[in-house]
Amino acid sequence: MEREKQLFLTLSTYLTGFNEVELQGTGMLQTYFETIVKQTKSEILGYFWEEVAQILADTTDEEETNRAIDSRLMPNSAYNGLAKKIITIWYTGTYDGFNVISADAYIQGLMWEAAETHPPAAKQPGFGSWNMPPIKISTH
Amino acid sequence: MEHKEYDVVIVGSGISGSIIAKTLTNAGKKVLLLEAGLKAGIALDKEGSYETYQSYLDTYYKAAAKAPNAPYPDIKDAPSIDVLDLTVLDGKPSTDHGYLVQMGPVPFASDCVRGAGGTTLHWLGTTLRMLPNDFKMKTLYNQGVDWPITYDDLKPYYEMAEHEIGVSGEVSEQKMPNMGDNFWGEEYVFPMEKIPQSYMDSVLMQKTEGLTVSLNGKEYQITCISTPQGRNSNPNVKYKIAGVSWSEEKKQLELIRGDEKFEYRPKGALWDNYTGERCEGNASCVPICPVQAKYNALKTLKNAKKENLKIITQAVASSLMIEKGTNEIAGIIYKKYRRENSKRYTTEVAKGKIYVLAASAIENAKLLLASNAANSSDQVGRNLMDHLVMLTWGLTPEKIYPYRGPGSTTNIPTFRDGEFRNEHAAWISPLDNWGWSWPTFAPGSDVQAALEKGMFGKNLRNHIHDKVTRQFLLHFECEQSPEPENRVTIDPKYKDQIDNYRPVIHYNVSEYMRKSMEAAKKVSDQIFAANEIEDFTNYSKQNDPGYVEYKGQGYTFRGAGHIVGTHRMGSCKEDSVVNEDQRTWDHKNLFLVGCGNMPTLGTSNPTLTMSALTFKAAEAILKQLNQ
Repeated sequence: MEREKQLFLTLSTYLTGFNEVELQGTGMLQTYFETIVKQTKSEILGYFWEEVAQILADTTDEEETNRAIDSRLMPNSAYNGLAKKIITIWYTGTYDGFNVISADAYIQGLMWEAAETHPPAAKQPGFGSWNMPPIKISTH
Repeated sequence: MEHKEYDVVIVGSGISGSIIAKTLTNAGKKVLLLEAGLKAGIALDKEGSYETYQSYLDTYYKAAAKAPNAPYPDIKDAPSIDVLDLTVLDGKPSTDHGYLVQMGPVPFASDCVRGAGGTTLHWLGTTLRMLPNDFKMKTLYNQGVDWPITYDDLKPYYEMAEHEIGVSGEVSEQKMPNMGDNFWGEEYVFPMEKIPQSYMDSVLMQKTEGLTVSLNGKEYQITCISTPQGRNSNPNVKYKIAGVSWSEEKKQLELIRGDEKFEYRPKGALWDNYTGERCEGNASCVPICPVQAKYNALKTLKNAKKENLKIITQAVASSLMIEKGTNEIAGIIYKKYRRENSKRYTTEVAKGKIYVLAASAIENAKLLLASNAANSSDQVGRNLMDHLVMLTWGLTPEKIYPYRGPGSTTNIPTFRDGEFRNEHAAWISPLDNWGWSWPTFAPGSDVQAALEKGMFGKNLRNHIHDKVTRQFLLHFECEQSPEPENRVTIDPKYKDQIDNYRPVIHYNVSEYMRKSMEAAKKVSDQIFAANEIEDFTNYSKQNDPGYVEYKGQGYTFRGAGHIVGTHRMGSCKEDSVVNEDQRTWDHKNLFLVGCGNMPTLGTSNPTLTMSALTFKAAEAILKQLNQ
């Protein structure tokens, strides 16, 4: 299980464009990993982890890894679109673009981070902050 | 059976009901308040109010569609109108989709909360006054009706309402069309300094402030001003109004001025006044302010005199008892349900000397129709109005960083009044701070669209960053004119699970309104062009319930949540339901409060005006009780 979770985390960095620290920082890794395990047929998941491990082992730089992900994981036909579901989870806190996994999942949605803002009703930046451009130092 | 007789029985704990309850109990009157929503919602103590509110917040976080009603309970015994129930009617009535029976031809598009605190739980908080000419639409523009009162008559009550809500704003910036010489009065200031305007506002204002646009052969100069709003900011040290109180001697409500040492203190959260003393930028005023820096009616109710107030919750007013002969109201029959969604209820009667319906424009009308009350003019239920919200959206060339701050902090007042009102409706244009979330469900929809294109990784992150930070939304709130056939009716065929009527709505969009949408789009096009905004506005006949056509062009209106006009105030009993005191012409001990009294809508969000009118009603009730 730990091997798969690490594969999930490493793959997620390539899929989301957020680094490991940023992803770990959401506190959602365990929840999302479990969601994926629960929602995916185990035989599909087994092949998927093997393919992910293969891609990470066979490619030597980021560009090459991205090319392999693009052709082998991103098509809808690949593993029932699992790669896109993983991105959807991290970005929106939902498994399917609609049903929210948990209150924390909503709050930790990365789409808000990507847009240099915060989820409505959480992580509020303080009185008057909206009067200026966001002051957060971007890490990417 | 409730045997005790109160001075006043109020139906509904929204802002109008709460203002009446607070004002009357503090003047020593015994008040019974009936609230249809759940018991938990009315909690005003520290622990109870915190727990209830956190449950709303949690519900919001987990909601799939974050619509205005999303955080709040929808009870089968007292259902709420929900925008998620809206459908494209396409010539067929919608009778089984949600609480409203929508007869069409177009659906009524606004919602409200039926529960403790009412729709102030999810209101945006904009607190604009109406303009003097808004009160004289018939005389000046041959549209709708005149009000029985003028702007000047309402002015002292506006000050009471601004005190009660706690308005933040800058008076000197409020330059609006045809304001007259003494719109604000000597040295008037709002309780708190203005809410800072957004960074987006400042970028847009560079090329919009002073912009000349042409419309139907005339030129107009656009101005942009800060928007007064009912959320907490820094107290204004010059503000010296300490309260509102009943003067037994003068038989009127008075603004109490504090002494030199008086300092206005913002009202924070129900559970802790140190929470929410300032807006913290949660960017979620609609549907829920997590820290209660935004006003809600429970803050008013909390300041009612407890020993004079009895509240009964889960009590749904069902009809009024009318005494034969005197035609006075003898009691309110209500159904008290045992548990959330339970079909079991007991029928009880509330009795008082005076009755006040404060249950929202649609519920008030329904209750009157169900009781055959107050309707000698045949105006009950008619003239249902809303601001028809036309949205336009596009991408700015530079980053404006939306999705931050309160929903709107700046507005364009240019088209709030003018000769054009002879031809088409007036509007106000708020600049919206929350990107495309309203029309397109962004940014979630942007993520889905990018995934469909196969984007992932840094490309995806960059794409979302580039697009979402440039999303601009402009907003036109067109003043709907009163039309007798836009109405709430009842029909025994349509009832809820405890045998109360469901509102049956007939609704259409007149040519006067469609013409204003055409005009607003022309103005939008010129503002977009001046700011080099790429227009992504899309109105869809297939998908938009509020799609209408004018001269072969399609436009979509959305609801503003401003449900107005179903029991209008007037100067004679032949064509109105209440007089200027908001007493029904037909029953001398029945008052109606809320937006239903407004004869016309103006271009301001109606809550402030309705609150001012409610203070006027409270004064009239106290006069009547003290006769």
